[in-house]
Amino acid sequence: MPRRNLLISRAAGRRKRLMAFAGHAVLLGLTSSSAVTVLFIFYFIIRDALPFFQLRGVTEFFTSTAWYPSAENASFGALSIFVGTGLVTLGAIFVAVPVGVSAAICLSDILPFRVRQLVKPVIEVLAAIPSVAFGFFALVVLAPQLQERGGLILSVAVWLIGVPILGLTVLIAANSITSRLSGWSHRAGRWIIPLVLGGLTFAALSHLSGRVGAIEIVSGANALNVCVILGIMALPTVVSVSEDALQSVGRELREGAYALGATRAETLLRVVLPAGRSGICAAIILGIMRAIGETMVVWMASGNAAQIPHPWFNLLEPVRTLTATIAGEMGEADHVTGSARYHVLFGMALCLLTISYFFNLISEVIVRRSDKGKT
Amino acid sequence: MQISSRRLLDRSFTAAGFASIALMGTALIVLLFPIIGRGIGAFVFRGTVEHRRLQLEQFAHGDPESVEFEVSEALAARRPVYDMVDTFKNELESGGFALRRKYADRVAELEDRLRDLFGPAPGDPRPILLRDQYGQVRWDRAEVKLRDLLTVESYDYSNPNEMGQKVLTPRSEGFAGTSLAQLFPYVEEHVDEMLRPRWTFYWRFLTNGSLDAHFFGGIWPELLGTLYLTIGAILFAVPLGVISAIYLVEYARADSRLVTVIRSCISTLAGVPSIVFGLFGLAFFINTLHVSPSKSVLAGSLTLGILVLPLVIRSSEEAIRSVPQTFREAALALGATRWRAIVAVILPAALPGILTGIVISMGRAAGETAPIIFTAAVSVGRPLSLWDTASQPTPALPWNIYNLCSEHEAVDEIRHVQFGMVFTLVMLVLLLNGVAIFLRARIGKKLRN
Repeated sequence: MPRRNLLISRAAGRRKRLMAFAGHAVLLGLTSSSAVTVLFIFYFIIRDALPFFQLRGVTEFFTSTAWYPSAENASFGALSIFVGTGLVTLGAIFVAVPVGVSAAICLSDILPFRVRQLVKPVIEVLAAIPSVAFGFFALVVLAPQLQERGGLILSVAVWLIGVPILGLTVLIAANSITSRLSGWSHRAGRWIIPLVLGGLTFAALSHLSGRVGAIEIVSGANALNVCVILGIMALPTVVSVSEDALQSVGRELREGAYALGATRAETLLRVVLPAGRSGICAAIILGIMRAIGETMVVWMASGNAAQIPHPWFNLLEPVRTLTATIAGEMGEADHVTGSARYHVLFGMALCLLTISYFFNLISEVIVRRSDKGKT
Repeated sequence: MQISSRRLLDRSFTAAGFASIALMGTALIVLLFPIIGRGIGAFVFRGTVEHRRLQLEQFAHGDPESVEFEVSEALAARRPVYDMVDTFKNELESGGFALRRKYADRVAELEDRLRDLFGPAPGDPRPILLRDQYGQVRWDRAEVKLRDLLTVESYDYSNPNEMGQKVLTPRSEGFAGTSLAQLFPYVEEHVDEMLRPRWTFYWRFLTNGSLDAHFFGGIWPELLGTLYLTIGAILFAVPLGVISAIYLVEYARADSRLVTVIRSCISTLAGVPSIVFGLFGLAFFINTLHVSPSKSVLAGSLTLGILVLPLVIRSSEEAIRSVPQTFREAALALGATRWRAIVAVILPAALPGILTGIVISMGRAAGETAPIIFTAAVSVGRPLSLWDTASQPTPALPWNIYNLCSEHEAVDEIRHVQFGMVFTLVMLVLLLNGVAIFLRARIGKKLRN
């Protein structure tokens, strides 16, 4: 083994410092490559999107609903496509947020550790399944079912959602009414009021489910189908991020609330959820981003009709989204690189990119502010 | 509020939580059940004699003697059917014009249905398309075709207020009173001998190439393409990702502005919609850098590599951060330089965690479709050699699933291939995630010790 001097000469020391500095610089350079990639993405998307806006202006793109990119007098009104994207995202959020947040609450505060370890892989698997498999399911399994027994499925859904919520409302309303009464009317009211209210709700529900059950779904590839599937796809994100947020709310707050005599539900709803508000907002934003950016499911199962449903919330009509338009039309537009038809797709990608950038920014700001609030 | 209401609310709140978790589990089961159930059908099914003939003639699999014997047996069983048709056609020839006009179309359609079921009739010229050269290879498809042979489907539009109602009538009614009427009961009774269905485990579905746009054969080109793309993406993403993670954890000061910018860029990158990655790959790698003349595995791998980069960085960062501080201090105290300490002590300790992240990223890369639509994927193609990956596009599982179930000319005929592909892809991804879960469990055990 060669002997090494314990003392380091000045030159060697300088060399060593230089080497360390160079190494540091190389590492920094490699690390910042991901930052450079983001800049590149923005640059290249903007570069190819600008010609469209120069060629056709901005007004038509954002305000017209006439989407005929391949016609002789091509028109590029993307309003209906924006509406479709928004509608589908909104629907997905309506599915994902209630289920996701209550599942997160259950995971973080209700289930024992052992069961939680069992549920975690379910969420991971759900998150891991490729989007094309979801799309395939939506198109090949769910869509024909919706088409054949749409009314039945919808009315079952009405019952499944309606019975627990309305039942609970009835019981609580009855309870609060009877508590105002006294004497014999209290005793009678305890039985009569819930029965009357329950009967009324039941009648309303059966009427509603009858109305819904009579609906015939013309095409199974519609916004509803996509909303449900996108909601399921956004679930893992919503659950895991909001669970993290709930976990980071300290034990002390919970114990304080319990000590004041709050039930578990009250603790969670009035103390823990408000304290973890920012994290849950971040979870919802991430869920929205997941739904907006998803391509395959909407391309395969949304019906791809560039139209605003009538009325606008009619989920049973086919819609079309930004991502699906890009995926579907690039194959044809690719041959005519340089045409407005090619660049309009980059314009859409720019919109998507901007939306996701701002959502990302918002979620970061929210998280950072809440971090500051804690320390 | 009353105590009882509060208790009720509390209970129902808990119930809502349980219901959501149950809903999530149900969603997973409902999703996976048809995919697994019908996906297995691509591998295990009742294969007919046509399947074995196809395997022998196109892939040289199977025992020639026994297959030929079976084929001759089946042909012998089919002989009477064709004889009956020929006899009837002769009768028509000799019969009057009215007779011919009445039956000519029906006989032609009957022959088409027979061709669908059994393949070309003996003596026919060899059809050009491979799909026409063989009969039904799967018994479940053969049953459908048999039904088409035995019954005529028509629509009843007599009620103008409703959509046309489907009406099925036996095809034999069209030939009532002729010599051909006996053909239908004969086929129905002897179809087993004509097709000789037998339970088959077709594991070669994975390793056979596709024949005639997936009418027959397996999914090897797609599987291979997916493997290439996944491994390529990992090759690009892992070195960059792990080095970035090392820098961010070990070198960078957390409060410096540059690091804050880099971090926010990484989270932006993680939020970019996958289809935008696809457009970027097209505009940058193909149209600007010209890494390949048009779509190629290389361009697709690069695009997927950028897509999974944030995932790799985050998981490696977490893994490196979870190495106890004492490891670092011990290594530095022994006189190791900072880099030496990282390479010799910290990275090995963080390796299982980093591997977990890599495996999960592989699953992500394997399943992504949108980024490869414009950069790597084609609908039909042969399996590529490693050398060709730099310049040639490839079929890939996710893209071909889309393609087969929405753009293929005969979507209903090849449902089993579609399900088989989805099954393969989902299993591939789940396998990778299973490995990740296993690795993580081992890390957990190690940390507890």
